[in-house]
Amino acid sequence: MKRKLDNSVSLPAAVIINLLLAAFCLVCIIPFIFVIIISFTSEESIRTVGYSFIPAEWSLEAYRYVLELGDQLWRSYANSFLVTILGTFLSVLTVMMYAYALFRKDFRYRGFFTFFCFFTMLFGGGLAPTYMVCKNLLGLSNNYAALIVPGLLNPFHVIVMRTFFQTSVPDSLIEAAAIDGSGEYNTLFRIIVPIAKPGIATVSLLTALGYWNEWFIAMLYIRDAKYIPLQYLLMKMQNQVDFLVKNSAMIGAEAANIMSSLPKDSLRMALVVLIVLPIACAYPFFQRYIISGLTIGSVKG
Amino acid sequence: MSKANVAQKKGSQGFTGRKKTLALISMTLPGVIWLILLRYLPMFGIVLAFKNYVVYTKKPGVINNIIHSDWVGLKNFKFIFATSDAAHMIFNTLTYNIVFILLGIVLAVSFAIMLNEVKNKFVAKSYQTLMFFPYFLSWVVASYFLLAFLDPTDGLIVHLQRVAGGEITNWYNDPKPWPYLLVIANMWKNTGYSTILYLAAITGIDMTQYEAARIDGASKWQQIWYVTIPNLRSMIIILFIMNVGKIFNADFGLFYSLPMNSGPLYPATQVIDTYVYNALIATNNIGMSTAAGLLQNIVGFICVMTANTIVRKIDEESSLF
Amino acid sequence: MKKRVLSLLLTTSMVAAMLAGCGSTQAAPAADAPAQTETKTEEAAPAADAPATEDNAEAGVDISEPVTLKWYLEGSNVTDDSAVLEEANAYLKEKLNVTLEPIWGTWGDFDDGATLSIQSSEDVDIYFTCSWTKNEYNAFSKKGYFLRLDDPENNLIEKYASDLWNLLPDVLTQGATITGADGYGVYAVPGYKDIATQNCWDVNVPLLEKYGYTIDDIKNADYFSLGDILETVKKGEGDSFYPLLIEGAVLERMVDNTIIVTGDTTGNVLSYIIDPKDPSKEGAYGNTIISKYESEEFKKFVEQSREYFLKGYIDPAMGNAEQANDTRSAKQLSGEYLIGTQSYSLGYELQATQERGFEVAMVPVTPAEIDTTSAQGAMMAISTASKHPDRAMMFLNLLNTDPYLMTLLNYGKEGVHYELEDGLVKFTDKRSDYQPWTNGMGNVTILTPTVDQGADFWDGFKSYYGSAVSIPIIGFSFDSTAVEAQAGALSNVCAQYSLALEAGTIDPETALPEFIQKLKDNGIDEFVAEANSQLQAFLDSQK
Repeated sequence: MKRKLDNSVSLPAAVIINLLLAAFCLVCIIPFIFVIIISFTSEESIRTVGYSFIPAEWSLEAYRYVLELGDQLWRSYANSFLVTILGTFLSVLTVMMYAYALFRKDFRYRGFFTFFCFFTMLFGGGLAPTYMVCKNLLGLSNNYAALIVPGLLNPFHVIVMRTFFQTSVPDSLIEAAAIDGSGEYNTLFRIIVPIAKPGIATVSLLTALGYWNEWFIAMLYIRDAKYIPLQYLLMKMQNQVDFLVKNSAMIGAEAANIMSSLPKDSLRMALVVLIVLPIACAYPFFQRYIISGLTIGSVKG
Repeated sequence: MSKANVAQKKGSQGFTGRKKTLALISMTLPGVIWLILLRYLPMFGIVLAFKNYVVYTKKPGVINNIIHSDWVGLKNFKFIFATSDAAHMIFNTLTYNIVFILLGIVLAVSFAIMLNEVKNKFVAKSYQTLMFFPYFLSWVVASYFLLAFLDPTDGLIVHLQRVAGGEITNWYNDPKPWPYLLVIANMWKNTGYSTILYLAAITGIDMTQYEAARIDGASKWQQIWYVTIPNLRSMIIILFIMNVGKIFNADFGLFYSLPMNSGPLYPATQVIDTYVYNALIATNNIGMSTAAGLLQNIVGFICVMTANTIVRKIDEESSLF
Repeated sequence: MKKRVLSLLLTTSMVAAMLAGCGSTQAAPAADAPAQTETKTEEAAPAADAPATEDNAEAGVDISEPVTLKWYLEGSNVTDDSAVLEEANAYLKEKLNVTLEPIWGTWGDFDDGATLSIQSSEDVDIYFTCSWTKNEYNAFSKKGYFLRLDDPENNLIEKYASDLWNLLPDVLTQGATITGADGYGVYAVPGYKDIATQNCWDVNVPLLEKYGYTIDDIKNADYFSLGDILETVKKGEGDSFYPLLIEGAVLERMVDNTIIVTGDTTGNVLSYIIDPKDPSKEGAYGNTIISKYESEEFKKFVEQSREYFLKGYIDPAMGNAEQANDTRSAKQLSGEYLIGTQSYSLGYELQATQERGFEVAMVPVTPAEIDTTSAQGAMMAISTASKHPDRAMMFLNLLNTDPYLMTLLNYGKEGVHYELEDGLVKFTDKRSDYQPWTNGMGNVTILTPTVDQGADFWDGFKSYYGSAVSIPIIGFSFDSTAVEAQAGALSNVCAQYSLALEAGTIDPETALPEFIQKLKDNGIDEFVAEANSQLQAFLDSQK
């Protein structure tokens, strides 16, 4: 008990730390609260009063508009969940194995494989050639693979994962495992994974976020409404509104017609809410591994 | 003698060594295949930067088109330097990036260490979750939030100025405050993201190191200085090197959407990415856009190689490769 | 180690080349014998020498091979096309042995999606294109993405689309004739829609009348003499009310009578000036292209804007590219303006009145005119990557000449998406599942009129647009390839200054000379000279 106290910062320091963190968190969350409020504000009120934390008139207009999508909305939600879960699992597996090889100092081709991966972080062939390879060569078009494969490996995640291994796995452990005759796969999954949990959870979280937020890939490779993920479905609405506002002069009377029926600002914000909330709810799941390490540590202390 | 030595060495590496290497290679295999197909294969597109890409109408198809398009040397790169603003936008891009990188490290590492000291699990989790929220909001949405404050007619700040009877500023017309606004906005959005990386790295630190330090009588600050920071070193260096690779690239949304693409703000907001966007939005020239990207990557590559070499000299352990 | 990377890269690129080889084999059944594909096109050719009549099948063109046409459209709002396609494909099967596979591009997505699809030579047959989307007609024709339809060696128009061509107004075919990858010719079928441009004041009538003015007061005023009216209304409505709701670029065009030079991608540094009384005649600068922002007219205009801005008549948001559009459309709907600017299309005032809930009047400032940009407002191009250009052309011909097909593809299936009421279209609830962008598809004048439009709508339409005159340089489009680097630099200079000057949010006293100097520094003179030499060549060829 006494030792635990010893390991804590002094009271004034704790107060300052908490104040600083709380202030920063406030700055981070206020815009999101603002987004939620606007999403429930009537378009009329936005037009006359502008954005405001206390709207003149509340309204469910924007959400009603989104709900009109009906089945497609739920289908897209399901697609997004499927792609995010499956994609994250496969991606983290690929990343973990690659990163493990790079982490092993006694791996003969370590330098080469690191470079091989890192190089693609900087250089790429550009959109059109990638599109061609994916679509024509790999058949990534109108299927779930088209949503999962392009995000399967993020070189950044590989490097970060390798660094996590470096900071949390002592060399002695690897040596001990080797002496015990543990195979590489066994070492990775039985010995390293439990130790490097915070790092793996972090990379999983970032990967899941990536899959969840991805809409551009869907725009490129999905034309069949059956496979459209949520983010793209909503982005499509957003793009449409933005485009019409910008090009009304060119499109003529018809554009004005479509435009006037769209809730613009509140819709934009409602879309954000609909996208962020599910993933924000999934957040604590990953966080358990990231933060719990901390507390275990302090209990031990 | 030497023969025997070599033989012995081979022997010690021998079967188990080769088996280990093979096992490790097999682990990289899924990644390698992916990289080859989705990253290296499309790289043929890089030649577009040196070609005047037109369709070979006799037999269209990307490969045929590329083969039959004329080589134009460095012509596609010309437009980046053809402007009287070239020096200015390169300066802007580099300066902002350097500030972002350095400030980003300081803030994220401090927050991670602070979070580590919050002993109430629930509170720590809440902080950490809240910090991440800005990452969810796109720059476009952020720009509307900012507008709610800065709008020249009914923004909150303008309201306050009006009430106070002071002079009303048109924020979107005056570039002076924008360098600060952009830096703050960038920190606001990205600090949560890097904090979580550092936090996870801290969490992974072997607890025995702290115990040993405590037994030696190290104070809290000493523990941070002598245990936490050294353990974070490789993460800091790796993130630093990777950011350096993007030193010639700018976050387009930050510089374009957040200031509402307001012309008078260009002295503060013009960076390479916005320049290229404005230059190519209408022409859609695939050769020129490839050229711009390639140039940014080459500069980034050179910077990374330099940074990596320096790191390697000082501390081989932490270098990227 | 470096060597290994290099060798790996080499191997990779070799694999790429090999795979690409396979790809093109697919495109042409035998890559080594390209002759085969050519014979295929020729097979159709001799048959087509016979004059094309109403029905191609009867003319003896070989359509025995069933063909699927992929068709990339813009602006669609389609969630369920099954009923329409079933009927349309049955009809097309019989007529042309064609199955249609539309790709319903939407506003905002079309630009990236279609451009990428074209650039990567996807097997889409027909693309929407025009002068204002990312797959811009002039630029993409020049790069060879679109098939020349009147190629002397294989004149698809003559073979399959003479009906269509006879029906289109001359200005449209003139506007569509440009210099592309295969010479001076037609690279897309222009859509017969609202083809003229007319700049109007968009007037909030109730507000105007509230202050004792009438529409005539606006009619008799010009931009420089609106001050009194604006002042009265500003005084009456208070501080945060801005009576003048402008779109900078439109306002500039209507005040200075400038015409966009098609193909100028810089944010319109180039302009052609017409005679405001008669758009078919050139204006004060003759048949030349000028650097608009350096002109006296522009200076006078922005000085006036500045004055209005300082007096609080113009919303500061209008000088802010990304904020201006949002704010403008919001204020139009809420009626928080007195006078706005509008690029007019027929029937706009009725529609606006209906949407905004107060009476809106359109007061023309310039006569209706047709220029290259407006003539290229909506088109359908056949991709050079298409394997069935003949059938695609036949389809476009049928689409634009057959009222049944056009109405079916636009308005949906009778009895499902609409009912006929006295021969007029009345939409049902199902229409919300199937709403393609009508103006983006083709010849709208053969559509069955809707109940709202009334039976004689298309007559009025034809007479309004028929009376519009074309500007002297109709058909001219500028090719900036030779001055591409300058174009890029100039776009940025324009983005920095033009809108803010037009809206008066920055002081022309200091900013205009700065702007002009920067234009000079970034090669405006070469740019204008290049444009004028192209215009001269164009005019010579027209003689």
